[in-house]
Amino acid sequence: MHKLLIGLMLSTGLFSMQSAAFDFGKALEDAAKQKIEEVKNGGESKNESTTPEADALKSTTPQASSTEQAPAAPEAKAFNWKNPSKQEEIALGREITGSLLGAAPLVKDEALQRYVNKVGRIVANQSERADLPWKFGVIESADLNAFAAPGGYVLITKGLYLQLSNEAQLAGVLGHEIAHIVQKHQLKVLQKQQLVNIGAGLITDKFGKNNQIAQKAIGSGAEISARSLDKSAEYEADRMGMILAARAGYDAYGLAEVLQTIGQTNKSDNSVALLFKTHPHPDERLTRLGDSAGSQLDKLKAGKTLENRFYKLAP
Amino acid sequence: MKKIVNLCLLTSMFLPVFVLAGEPGTALKADTLRAEPFADAKSVGSLTKNDAVDIVNKKGAWLQVKSKKSTGWVRLLSVKRGGATQSNQVGGLASVASGRAGTGKVVSTTGIRGLNAEELKAAQFNESEMKKLESYELSSSEGKKFASSGGLSTASIAYLKGAQ
Repeated sequence: MHKLLIGLMLSTGLFSMQSAAFDFGKALEDAAKQKIEEVKNGGESKNESTTPEADALKSTTPQASSTEQAPAAPEAKAFNWKNPSKQEEIALGREITGSLLGAAPLVKDEALQRYVNKVGRIVANQSERADLPWKFGVIESADLNAFAAPGGYVLITKGLYLQLSNEAQLAGVLGHEIAHIVQKHQLKVLQKQQLVNIGAGLITDKFGKNNQIAQKAIGSGAEISARSLDKSAEYEADRMGMILAARAGYDAYGLAEVLQTIGQTNKSDNSVALLFKTHPHPDERLTRLGDSAGSQLDKLKAGKTLENRFYKLAP
Repeated sequence: MKKIVNLCLLTSMFLPVFVLAGEPGTALKADTLRAEPFADAKSVGSLTKNDAVDIVNKKGAWLQVKSKKSTGWVRLLSVKRGGATQSNQVGGLASVASGRAGTGKVVSTTGIRGLNAEELKAAQFNESEMKKLESYELSSSEGKKFASSGGLSTASIAYLKGAQ
């Protein structure tokens, strides 16, 4: 048993070093499946891992027993990777997002940023995690992309924003990112990785300040944003994002329209290099969305597109 | 403000032309063409995967398309914009639907390096930008206010299950 465990840790560790884009894909798939099951059963989400790897590591993780009640007192407490508190989740997301902002700062247009926060907040209110301190921003990049980080951080590039033509489309895009956060897709990838690292003795569990904890935890900041999530996580975020926007009263097809637009961009165009590397092709995403929807949305009351109050941004 | 008005005039002038001219699309899957944009409307034909169509109109969840054989309405999610070959053209249907077509919006990003893994890996935490981002945060009730000012009304809709 012991031998097996070490072997497992080594192989997983190796994977994480060699190909960042593919590591823990399986683990995430498991996590996503588990999540889907939970959603199906209508249960509240728990962060308990059920994979054999994580179970095996439980016994070797030092802080396994200390959890739950204590509100985060970051100075003294170790980061609880087993079951991160909301505060820890937010601290982690702040670290990732802050690094992303280091690569691409916010567009200097306060009215734009406030507008995006209003629309995002409307959509997030429809989710199971309306209680998170949701923050939305448009960043200076000609790329077509959007990013989510644990705890309610959502960034969309200026390049993608310029492709949008109404508020329902913005709501759909933000809905996709909100769904990633609600389902803790990124968090789960980081959790699996950290549990393995802790188990392997690559990091210890005591750090000084809050920032440092989060930083040590995720290593190179925004790099997680360049990684692929499991495809099933992307399809799930499409399905949920579409419904979140529709619940808010928007036209349900905003996200689909954006996918149709992005799908027309040449694959060799630099603006979609990262997006296409980390996501299934838009055609595939549309097809999946159509298959999942079937005739279920036929009776849906037509939502609003609100193009007249959509904030126009000069290229 | 004047500029916006001018823009609106300009787009409304071009809009009908675009709708009439149609836009190339491709069937993502086999589906039925219907006489009207409803699931129980009379069938007037069918699409096979990869059929080339002309998108001539949009209504809610439905697109009116013209195939070689027939014209009818098909679910929006069954058709993608553009031909089978990828083009660099952007705009199109979304612009048609929103009245933004005809503004000659051309986006070319060729030559501009996009965000990539190396760049993100090397990125340093930017505290002042983060502070700015945090300053935009709104409360749930502020969101609700903005929703009602846009006439948005919430509906209870179940999430979709994944298809296999």
